[in-house]
Amino acid sequence: MNNTESRRITKINGFTILKKKIFRVLICIIVMNTFIISSFFVPNVYGLQEEIDSEFGESPIIDGYIDFSSNEWNEATKVPIELGDLPISLWVMQDEINLYISIQFELEGYAHKDTEFVGMIISNSSSIIPEEFLDVKIVQFSNKTSNDFIFLDYNINNSEFLNDTKQNGMGAAKIEGIDSTYEFSIPINEVGGDENMQDVLLEYGNMYAFNITYGETPVYPGGIKKSEIVLITIKNLSITEPPLWDLVFFILNIIIFSILGILYGFYIYKIFKLKEKIERIKR
Amino acid sequence: MSKIPKQPKKEQKIKKRYRTDENFAYRSVIISAILGGIFYLISLLLNFGIITNFIDQGVIWDFIDVLFKVLAILLFFLFMITSLGNYKELIGKPVNWKELLLILGFSIGQTILNIWVFIFTLFGLLIILIYLYLAQGI
Repeated sequence: MNNTESRRITKINGFTILKKKIFRVLICIIVMNTFIISSFFVPNVYGLQEEIDSEFGESPIIDGYIDFSSNEWNEATKVPIELGDLPISLWVMQDEINLYISIQFELEGYAHKDTEFVGMIISNSSSIIPEEFLDVKIVQFSNKTSNDFIFLDYNINNSEFLNDTKQNGMGAAKIEGIDSTYEFSIPINEVGGDENMQDVLLEYGNMYAFNITYGETPVYPGGIKKSEIVLITIKNLSITEPPLWDLVFFILNIIIFSILGILYGFYIYKIFKLKEKIERIKR
Repeated sequence: MSKIPKQPKKEQKIKKRYRTDENFAYRSVIISAILGGIFYLISLLLNFGIITNFIDQGVIWDFIDVLFKVLAILLFFLFMITSLGNYKELIGKPVNWKELLLILGFSIGQTILNIWVFIFTLFGLLIILIYLYLAQGI
C-alpha cells in the first residue's frame, strides 16, 4: 500500500468516525428533548380538570332564578364547561358562610325529562380518585311542568348513596322553556354541624374536586348520564381585598359625570346667548 | 328716482348666502349639542352602571355591553366636537387645544369603571382625532 492510498483510507475512516459521532450526538439530543418535552406533559395530565377560583360576593337567593336586575351572581367566577356533550355554564362564588354554585344549560323541550336532576359529588380533597368522593348534593325534579323539585343530601359509603341524617346546604332549580337553572349553597367550615361526618368539610383556602352530574332518572348513581369533574378553590377569608379602588373610581366617576353635566348645561346656555347675539346684530 | 343707490345684486346674493350659512351653522350647533347630550345620557346610564341588564349573560353579551358603552362615548365626543367647532366658527374663533383636551379628557373619564371600555374608547378617539386632523388638513 503506497502512502497516498493509506492517507485516503485514514480520511475515509475519519469521515465514518465523524459521521458516527454526529449520529450519537443527534440521538442524545432527541432523547434529551423527549425527556424535557415529556416533563411538560406530566403536569398537564394532572391538570386536565378545569380549575376554578371562587370569588367573594353578595350571597344569592337559592331559588333557581337569577335576578339580573339586582346583580345577583354578579361577582361569581363564570366558566363554560362540557358535561359530556352538554355545554353548561358553571358559576362559582362564596361568602363567609357558604359556597354557591349555579349550573345553567339549554335543552330542547322534548329533551327535558320530568325527572331531570343535577348533582354534585364532592371530594374530600382535590383528589379525583373515586374513594375520595364522599358527599352528594342533588336537586331532583319530580315534575318539570309544575316545577316540583327536592333537594337531596347523600353520603357515599362503598359506592352506595346513603341519605344524610341531617341535610346540609340548599338547592333549587327552575326549568323555563329550554333553559335550566340549578343553584346550590354548601356551608364552608361548618364544624360540628355534622357529627356523623356525612358531609365533606369545606375549608377556606383549600381546593376540592366536584363531580358535576346530570341525570334523567332518580336512581343514584345509576341514573347519572353525564358528569364532569372540576376543581374549585375556596378563597381564604384573609385574601379578600378591600374594595377601596372600586370606591375611589366610583366617586371619580360621579365627579366626572357631574362636571360634564354642569359644563353641558353651561354650553347650552352659551348657545342660546349666541342666538340672542346674532339676532341683535341682524336687527 | 331714488337717491340711495341700490345694493348691487351680487352683494345681496353674498349677504343672503352668508346668512344661510350662518343659519346652517347655528342649526348644526344646536342639533349636534342635543345629540351630544343624548349620548351623554346614554353613556351615563351604561357607564355609570345604572343599566346593567347586558352584563353576566355570557361573553357575547359582555362584548355587546362594552360595544354600546364605547359607542355612546365616541358619539358623544364626535357630536360635541362638531357642535363646539361650529359654535367657535360662529363667534369667529378656532377650537383651541385646551377645549379639545377638555372634551377628550371627559370622554376618557367616562370609561374609568371598565378597562375594556377604556381601551376601546382610547383607540376609537385616536381614530377620530386622526380623521379630524386629516380632514382639517385636506
